[in-house]
Amino acid sequence: MSITSPPANDRGTALSFENLSVSFETEFSDVHAVKGLSLEVYPGEVVALVGESGSGKSVTSTAAIGLLPSNAYITGKALVGGVNVVGMAENRMRKMRATDIAMVFQEPMTALNPVLTIERQLTESLELHGLAYGKDATRRAIELLDMVGIPDPAKRIRQYPHQFSGGQRQRIVIAMAISCDPKVIIADEPTTALDVTVQAEILDLLRELKDKLNTGILLITHNMGVVADLADRVAVMFHGSLVETGTVDQVLNNPVHPYTQKLLASVPRLKAVDVTGGWTPEPVAPVDPNRTLVLEARNLVLEYDMRGTKFRAVDDLSFELARGQILGIVGESGSGKSTVAKAVLGLLPVASGVLAVHGTNLATLRPKAARAVRAKIGVIFQDPAASLNPRFPIGDCITEPMVVHKVGSRAERIRRAGELLEAVHLPRSVLNRYPHELSGGQRQRVCIARALTLDPELLIADEPTSALDVSVQAAVLEMIQELQARYEFACLFVSHDLAVVDLLAHHVVVMKDGKSVEQGRVSDVLHAPQHDYTRRLLAAAPVPEPREQAVRREARRLLLELETPKG
Amino acid sequence: MLRFILRRLGASIGILFAASLLLYVLVINSGDPLAELRESNAENRENLMQRRIEFMNLDMPWYQRYWTWLVGVGKCFALQCDLGTSRQGVEVSALLGLAASSTLRLVLLATVLAAILGIAIGVLTAVRQYSGLDYGVTFLTFMFFSLPVFWAAVLLKEYLAIGYNDWMEDPAFSVPQIAAIAVLVGFLMQVFLGGTPRRRIATFAVAAAFVAIVIPYLTWLNFFRFPQLGFGGVLVLGLGVALSGTAMSVGLRNTKVLYPALATVALGAIVYFASFGLLENPNWFVLAIGAVLAVVIPALLGKYLGGHLAVPAMGVGIATGIVMAGLTTLDHIFRAWPGFLALKPRPIATIGSQTPNFVGTFWEDFLDKGTQLLLPTILLAIISLASYSRYTRSSMLEVGQQDYIRTARSKGLSERTVIFRHAFRNAMIPIATIAAFDFAGLIGGAVITESVFGWKGMGELFRTGLMQVDPAPVMAFFLVTGTAAVLFNMLADIFYAILDPRIRV
Amino acid sequence: MTIEKEPTEVPAVLLAEAEDAALARKDSVSLSQGQLVRRRFVAHRAAMISTVALAFIAVMAFSSIGYAGIPGWWDKDYTMAGSVIDGGRPTFSLLPTWLGGTGLAWGEHPFGQDSTGKDYFALVMRGTQQSIIIAVIVGIVATVIGAVVGAVAGYYRGWVDAVLMRMTDLFIVIPLLVLAAVLGQIASRTGNTTVVLALVLGLVTWTGLARLVRGEVLSLREREYVAAAQSMGAKTSRVILKHLLPNTIGVIVVNATFAIAGAILLETSLSYLGFGVKAPDSSLGLLISQYQNAFTNRPWLFWWPGMIILAIALSVNFLGDGLRDAFDPRQTRKARRRSKKEEVSE
Repeated sequence: MSITSPPANDRGTALSFENLSVSFETEFSDVHAVKGLSLEVYPGEVVALVGESGSGKSVTSTAAIGLLPSNAYITGKALVGGVNVVGMAENRMRKMRATDIAMVFQEPMTALNPVLTIERQLTESLELHGLAYGKDATRRAIELLDMVGIPDPAKRIRQYPHQFSGGQRQRIVIAMAISCDPKVIIADEPTTALDVTVQAEILDLLRELKDKLNTGILLITHNMGVVADLADRVAVMFHGSLVETGTVDQVLNNPVHPYTQKLLASVPRLKAVDVTGGWTPEPVAPVDPNRTLVLEARNLVLEYDMRGTKFRAVDDLSFELARGQILGIVGESGSGKSTVAKAVLGLLPVASGVLAVHGTNLATLRPKAARAVRAKIGVIFQDPAASLNPRFPIGDCITEPMVVHKVGSRAERIRRAGELLEAVHLPRSVLNRYPHELSGGQRQRVCIARALTLDPELLIADEPTSALDVSVQAAVLEMIQELQARYEFACLFVSHDLAVVDLLAHHVVVMKDGKSVEQGRVSDVLHAPQHDYTRRLLAAAPVPEPREQAVRREARRLLLELETPKG
Repeated sequence: MLRFILRRLGASIGILFAASLLLYVLVINSGDPLAELRESNAENRENLMQRRIEFMNLDMPWYQRYWTWLVGVGKCFALQCDLGTSRQGVEVSALLGLAASSTLRLVLLATVLAAILGIAIGVLTAVRQYSGLDYGVTFLTFMFFSLPVFWAAVLLKEYLAIGYNDWMEDPAFSVPQIAAIAVLVGFLMQVFLGGTPRRRIATFAVAAAFVAIVIPYLTWLNFFRFPQLGFGGVLVLGLGVALSGTAMSVGLRNTKVLYPALATVALGAIVYFASFGLLENPNWFVLAIGAVLAVVIPALLGKYLGGHLAVPAMGVGIATGIVMAGLTTLDHIFRAWPGFLALKPRPIATIGSQTPNFVGTFWEDFLDKGTQLLLPTILLAIISLASYSRYTRSSMLEVGQQDYIRTARSKGLSERTVIFRHAFRNAMIPIATIAAFDFAGLIGGAVITESVFGWKGMGELFRTGLMQVDPAPVMAFFLVTGTAAVLFNMLADIFYAILDPRIRV
Repeated sequence: MTIEKEPTEVPAVLLAEAEDAALARKDSVSLSQGQLVRRRFVAHRAAMISTVALAFIAVMAFSSIGYAGIPGWWDKDYTMAGSVIDGGRPTFSLLPTWLGGTGLAWGEHPFGQDSTGKDYFALVMRGTQQSIIIAVIVGIVATVIGAVVGAVAGYYRGWVDAVLMRMTDLFIVIPLLVLAAVLGQIASRTGNTTVVLALVLGLVTWTGLARLVRGEVLSLREREYVAAAQSMGAKTSRVILKHLLPNTIGVIVVNATFAIAGAILLETSLSYLGFGVKAPDSSLGLLISQYQNAFTNRPWLFWWPGMIILAIALSVNFLGDGLRDAFDPRQTRKARRRSKKEEVSE
């Protein structure tokens, strides 16, 4: 379509960067986000750009579609179908979007305009780029929805985004991206916000589309499993530069650069899973009569009150957690796994059943006695940005439990805070700093310190690492393990990440729709699942090894095929 | 959606009821209604007091008085309102008619003007954030927020009304005046249209030159006393809208849009002559029908001639139709202006909602009410406009950072489409809720403005009623303004539900 | 997105390690949120000018004619009538001598005299005092009630919330001015009109702030540090006072200033309508009401009080704007771009 594009040759790139540099001028100083990056994406190929936060991977892709904010200073070239888009006039760049380069974003819940119908949002780029008008455009849009697997597209096209689930919305965003047949699609963390089973479906869809349409895909991700599943080639970014490029097999199995090696080493891996069911469990060790039960749930029911109508989030759940043990609770969003943690923390009343800490039933406890029980429970939450009060210096954050329970003098509290900071490998000088000066991983370590202030017997960890980068996650997990070995507290570990639970927990509860579908020792449940749902969940979780992932993908396909006829 | 609106309406009516009780109790406890009679030395003092007690039902306990009032209001549903008697014994219902119509006219006009202009300015300043225009408008809105209404009213009266009227005696411009106006217009035009420095200079030059040529010409025509547009003016301007609308939406080559727009111009030209007699002294009914036709006919033309471009064709057609109809009407208003000046030599008045004993044609009457309405409306609108523009600006900026705006940009949509199709509707959602509060603020503002401009409106009813501890007029004021507020609130709710599908489906 | 400050070379360390190294390198000066806010506020030119102007007006008003029996440096009283000199023309002048003026001159009656010969400077200063007293009291009353009710409604939701929302809805059907006028009329029957009027205005202007604080608390209470405090057994009062309210301070302070500006205008409007401060006491609104018809003959009687209302309200509004920018760094202006970068990015 462009005047200056070279004659199409067989291996012409869909997208390529030549010595691309991007820097931003901010309030305080210039920040070099990308430093001289070169990379090619060919038609029909998936190139994964991986890296941790701040590596510049999203900035690189945004530069290609010309949507960087105006304080960005770009040099080098970004060629879309052979045309350099760096410094291109806005109105020419606009014509290239959707037809030459399209984008799939991370957050499907917010990527669609809530007040326009899907039809409007799909047809507008068709009409804008002159591909189809009016009824033709609608017909084409219905075809696209059908192609990305939206059921009953002719009817559903008239609906609004809020009437679709997260996975469906991501499918619609993908339909939008392919609507004008672009040469290259940039998929910026397309599955990060999705559940693992939905993630597997979206990855299948992307793979199918790229083969069908011969489009190049630049996949931005931090998830090595996704890389192994979808990518042909991998480029690893660190601090704005490429440190390693190669085929997916080379990079994931024989990384050369030390950064890549360390990065891959810190990815938690699921051990081999047997989904055939022909596995003889290890003999169950007799229950240790001397063990101390720290947390116990019996027929626990938890309900949310939504304007009078009760929504049952947890139904008939029973489990036991003894001193020195880690119990993992896994499940997808809406399974009620975090609700259990909330109830233990007293943030949600128990509707019926028993939830006992050291034999005292929380459900029937008076507020004052409950407060005394709380002193024995520590907590770590998911979002490091939100779990420390921004107006408290770190020292105050850590000693707050002591203040609340009136433990120790001021000097003792400060001493204790110092000890705890040491335990989580942070310098003592951090005491007087404010949360906004710390990185996410450091804040999460402060949260761990806070949770341990009163020597808890029970630690509740609600997705403590899911907002963290891979290497930071590894450090935090290691720390939890180390501290647990030292202080021997019981830990309730809630997570959606099966690999993390596999790494850390002794026992596991798999939850779905508020019910426990399977529970037991990690070695039994996660390696020889008995329940279909657990199998599906395990099969959907990608592993960071391309050949193994290909095998698992096939196994998952077979598993799903086996299940479908059953209904 | 219906359930949502009914529920909101039900809640509003409950609040209306509670508020009426609160206000009633507060008003009857705000003083002693018999105070000045108690101190009077008149011979018939006892007699006067007795009469007042009777008119105001002072012999009843407060709840019984309130109940009586409430029952009287209830009769409104049978179209027999009984809003009680003022302390002079005048039926309040009788006072209400004229007062309510003039006040509501003022408040509604100000609301509509403020909302349209405020939202437009808000969008513009959000799009051009941190530009000179943005800073200028920001400063002005702060100025308007801080301006005491009653003080500004006196300034307007003094400079705008009296100054204009004096000038109207012999409308003329001196050369420095023309130069100053030309520079000012040129400056404002480049501020609003924006663009690169070179484009701004061009805009300035063209606008200033245009003004410098047009003003002497208009003075020579004596346009200010005998304004005229004529068929030629209507046709040229209508054609201009049709062509520029087509050029801006799809381009002039595109006959699917151009032809319906031109057909609309042709029809408008025919209607200009066909309706000439009718519009010389029309009534509101005729005008309303004309307005509806001006929208419906071009819409139909666009729909059937536009093919796959039906939507832009309808848009351009409707814009052309409305402009043609508006110009035709304006032409008749211009024709009535000399006659109006003869009846009312100092056109912009500073007192009252209409000139007493004014008799004229429809248009003369319209101009009279219009000129009386001018100053209070400007005043009320300016203050409300400041808050609309401010809220719209921040709402637009907020929406501009949403993910779906980035999605829209990544499809290659032009900035205009991104702003109007994707950002604007979302930005209007919070404005719909703010509008209800703003309307109440305008009614409060109307009490002050009416007092400054000496209107015998609802504000006057409230003010004297409260001064004299007389609940009936105060409650009548409340009933009208409160009901208006509830209705307006309901409109805002409907608007809200239309904007936001999450409420509807 | 957050971008780490770059190290000079790409070392083969992981992000976690790089972050710790960066933390160790950091200089010892650490700024609390309050300090950051102060710094940004001082950098806001319009807000700083407004603060100075406001302070100047307040010092003038209270030091000139004194307050509550304490005499000031101005020798005339706002109730003292006298003979009208030179048609009551103001003697205040700023025009320098070399332009044909008299230089900075204060004179006998700087703001002129009213029709009964009262010194208009004293009258206007008295009115300014009233406005400032009202501003302060309304600021305190409305902020305290609004913040507490808003926080409680947002935290507990349920019926407290429902009542608050219905109360704010009340102002949809009864305009603020109308309710304030009725209450002002009741207040005027008591002795110390200004203070009572101010309390009354405070009682009707808190709902806006309460709504905003409520909204803020509704979102803050879902933050994990609040959940952490709750789950460690902190009492509700501690959660609200230590964790919720301090984090809404931006909303509170900013909207308190806007409420103050609104209250000043409301008082002057009420006094203008005759439902606020009444003669023989003085208020800026009352002065305008008394002398609006004197505009053509003695315009100074009209200009002075109006200009002072405008100056106070404008300063307070700009102060609020400066505070908003200081508390909410998202809204501060972008760093100025260098011209060469502009060329590239356009």
